[in-house]
Amino acid sequence: MAPGTLYVEDVAEGDEAPVRSHVLTRTDLVAYAGASGDYNPMHHDEVIATASGQPSVFGHGMFSMGLLGSALTDYVGVGNVRRFQVRFAKQTWPSEKLETKIVVTGTRNEAGEHLVDLDVRLHNADGEEKVVGQATAVLASRS
Amino acid sequence: MSQSVLSEIIGQPTGKSVVTVERGHLATFAGAVKDASPVYRDPRAATEAGLAGIPAPPTYPFVMENFGVFPELQPSDAPTGNAMVSVLGPLMAKGGLILHGEQEFTYHRPIFAGDVLEGEGKVVDAYQKESKGKTMTFVVVETVWTDQATGDPVCTSRMNIIHRI
Repeated sequence: MAPGTLYVEDVAEGDEAPVRSHVLTRTDLVAYAGASGDYNPMHHDEVIATASGQPSVFGHGMFSMGLLGSALTDYVGVGNVRRFQVRFAKQTWPSEKLETKIVVTGTRNEAGEHLVDLDVRLHNADGEEKVVGQATAVLASRS
Repeated sequence: MSQSVLSEIIGQPTGKSVVTVERGHLATFAGAVKDASPVYRDPRAATEAGLAGIPAPPTYPFVMENFGVFPELQPSDAPTGNAMVSVLGPLMAKGGLILHGEQEFTYHRPIFAGDVLEGEGKVVDAYQKESKGKTMTFVVVETVWTDQATGDPVCTSRMNIIHRI
């Protein structure tokens, strides 16, 4: 088990992971398009996006999930995530401040492993939820 | 599109592919999701974190088919049709919007640089709903990734796509 990972003895329902906060830029969208191979112009071409009736380009849903995933692995340790599920609730827009909220909903034992269940969300500064989901990760034990 | 047409595509394959997972791309992808962790960039940091190699960020399985699919690695029995495309194609021809509704990953082990993974996708659900005067068509595709060398399961990706018109 990796150093800096989460121990079952230290985790309780209601605990919150450190918040990750990020102001979305058009450069982020270009970088994500290149790194993901998703070149849907709605995410990088302002001319096409506005001609289609959108106020501007908007973020890839999978960028939002990726940002949330980074906060998740910061908390539980890379390699310890067992399940990660989200629903894409709202579009994200350049200049929005996106913030993660990850809350422990419970811990359990399954097949000799300690697991933690988490409520995972990404919202903007006004509290509008962009991505809502759940995750499960394996925990280390001191005993 | 009738419900029976949609029911017929449940269980149909969406493709089979073999991907290679490359270190440079993992670091680039980690940067794109704003993750500065050294485990994605430095094998010494990965080892120190107890990892067997440079790992992939959690959402990486969604994009790996866009990069690591090289022709000589592909299975000769890969299905040629894609059930999702055959349903969404005619719908998109009528206009409307394609939305990514939900995404789920189940991980059996971390993905590492150097992995060669085999993915097999199929439609696991398809249905239509009327909502606020719009027709919503839902197609759920599940892709099961296994380690080509051992046949062990690595990750299952479940994608819910919505066409709205």
